[in-house]
Amino acid sequence: MSTSTFHTLEEALADEHYPEVDLALRRGRHIGRDDDTMYEYLVDAQALLELFYRRFGCELIQQSDGYFYLLPTGDRLGRRQLSAAEMLVGQALALLYLDPATLQHGGAVRREALLERLSALLGTEMLVRTLDPRRARKGKYDERIAAESVRTKVSEALRRLAELGFIDLLEDAGLRLRPALMRFAEPVRGLGDRSGALERLVRAGEVVLENGEMEPEEDITADEEPQP
Amino acid sequence: MNSVSPNSDTTLKPDDPSRVVASLARDQVTLDLKTIDLCFLAALYLKADKAALASFEEDVLIDMFEQVCDSIEPGAENPRKRATHAIQRLREQRMLARVDAAGIVRAGDYALTTLAAAIVQYFLTDEALTRESLTLLTGTLSAQLAEVLGAAKRATDAESWHAKVSGPLRVTVSELVSGIERRQRGLDAQQEEVQAEIAKILQSDWFSAVDRCQTLLETTATTLNELNEILLRDTHHFLALLQDIQSLAEAAENYETEVTVQRVIEHVDRIAAWGSARQQAWSDYYQYVHRYLRDVVRLDPDRALSQRLRDQTAAWPSSPFFLLVAHAPSIRLLRALETRGERPPVARPRTQREADPEWVEPEDVHADIEALVTQAIDEGAATLAGVSSRVLPKLPEALHYAGAGRVAYAVGRLARIRSEHERPWAPVLARLEVEDWTIVGKDSP
Repeated sequence: MSTSTFHTLEEALADEHYPEVDLALRRGRHIGRDDDTMYEYLVDAQALLELFYRRFGCELIQQSDGYFYLLPTGDRLGRRQLSAAEMLVGQALALLYLDPATLQHGGAVRREALLERLSALLGTEMLVRTLDPRRARKGKYDERIAAESVRTKVSEALRRLAELGFIDLLEDAGLRLRPALMRFAEPVRGLGDRSGALERLVRAGEVVLENGEMEPEEDITADEEPQP
Repeated sequence: MNSVSPNSDTTLKPDDPSRVVASLARDQVTLDLKTIDLCFLAALYLKADKAALASFEEDVLIDMFEQVCDSIEPGAENPRKRATHAIQRLREQRMLARVDAAGIVRAGDYALTTLAAAIVQYFLTDEALTRESLTLLTGTLSAQLAEVLGAAKRATDAESWHAKVSGPLRVTVSELVSGIERRQRGLDAQQEEVQAEIAKILQSDWFSAVDRCQTLLETTATTLNELNEILLRDTHHFLALLQDIQSLAEAAENYETEVTVQRVIEHVDRIAAWGSARQQAWSDYYQYVHRYLRDVVRLDPDRALSQRLRDQTAAWPSSPFFLLVAHAPSIRLLRALETRGERPPVARPRTQREADPEWVEPEDVHADIEALVTQAIDEGAATLAGVSSRVLPKLPEALHYAGAGRVAYAVGRLARIRSEHERPWAPVLARLEVEDWTIVGKDSP
């Protein structure tokens, strides 16, 4: 016997939480336990909504870490792949999420800690090359301006990750890490081969391997000396 | 660095915070205590406490400093000189006060000030709120308040209100409430230590630390729950007693007591708010750590995930992958269709730019001058100055200067003239002079 509050799809859709949850899911947001009533609504209506969203060509996924998201499996609902900056920042944040030191502040970290972690993992040059390839292709670049550019890209990535429900942006430049960050660790969660796990995730429509994003046109002469 | 000025007024009443702040800023009050200074103060405080000393002779101070110096910086050079400097520093900052009036007659006696005692007490006190201490404090506070209420009921004049109600409220009750608050701060510090401890033991022992973490979490949560229950129950009782006292003071029109009671009520409110705020904060932390233990530590007992994720991130630029997320655009609301009329070109009304011709009097000054010159010669003017004096007044004043030249030209053309080698200057009207000629006859036309 079902313990759900909702007996029919009509009841589930008539609930006051449905419009907000539906819009958030369709915009790619990950809804977790931190979202309180939205999460509780999804747990309650899960069985009905799974079938409902399947008709739109997407899966309502629930992960054991305690969050939901919508995964498009066809072309009926738009989808996008995360940018290189979002992927790198997301993985570094997932590492911070796993770090016991983060526990001391209840899952809150400062942006400086994220930048330090990224820099330690990849080194400044690799960071610039990955986050700002047009500048790196120029060869020699101004280190100060490149660092500024990296910080800007990281800030932009953080804003987008917050919109997607991976983190919460706190006041005074802090970040609260959410369990959805564990999606970035999905390829290495099992004990098996990473490439095998990636293949499985590609088949499931969770990830893609090609970078389909367009490099934004921007002024790469910004670090040149201004003309007198 | 500036220190407390001996003349500065740092004992302002705390009634006006902005005045206190402005006064502290004006006097540029600062405190600069080195570790050895703090150790020295602590040693003095403990010695005074143990031996019930009210003050120290100067030699005792120096001996004490040398002992402190020996224990924390063994082998330090010239401890006696350093002691002199330290005592001077502490006196300048109002930590030590000379309490004898002997001046330079003999070495002085020194006592720790309340500022020094408060600083040392802060470092010495490690009391945290416990169920026992809170129950004891709230019980005493309750008894005190009941006693004050009884005194308020019996008070008949301002003197008895002051001595039996307002005074005990300000001193005894406020001390007890401050005692609870101080222990609350102690418990806050203890909680921070527990959080740091949990992070530390997980860092070092990972999976085998799970049980210890849970015990720490449970213990703190239980303590907070118990304390909050006591606070909720007892603060309600305190507030009821305080409001009774306030009503009596209001009826007796004793403003001093009303204000004092109001301050104690605000203090008690703060204590009650602390309990629920800390319980909520701990509850959030408790849930977060529990989820971490369940989802991260228990699922990854060997702590291999962090390392694998680190490797994945470091290698990501060379073997990238990209997560996919839903991305439905926002619903577009199309604008209602509306018919637009042909807009006329931008124009402005035509204006008459050409004025109609007007009839004006004809002007021919040159012809007039020739006629006037002829007339003047005919009338007998014998010099250029004479002709000019007759002609120029008939012309507008603005033309007098130019007219003088025209007159000379006309005279030269219409008459025979003779000029001396050195022509004399002759006045014409008030402001002109001309080099004069003599007219000897008129040319025939």
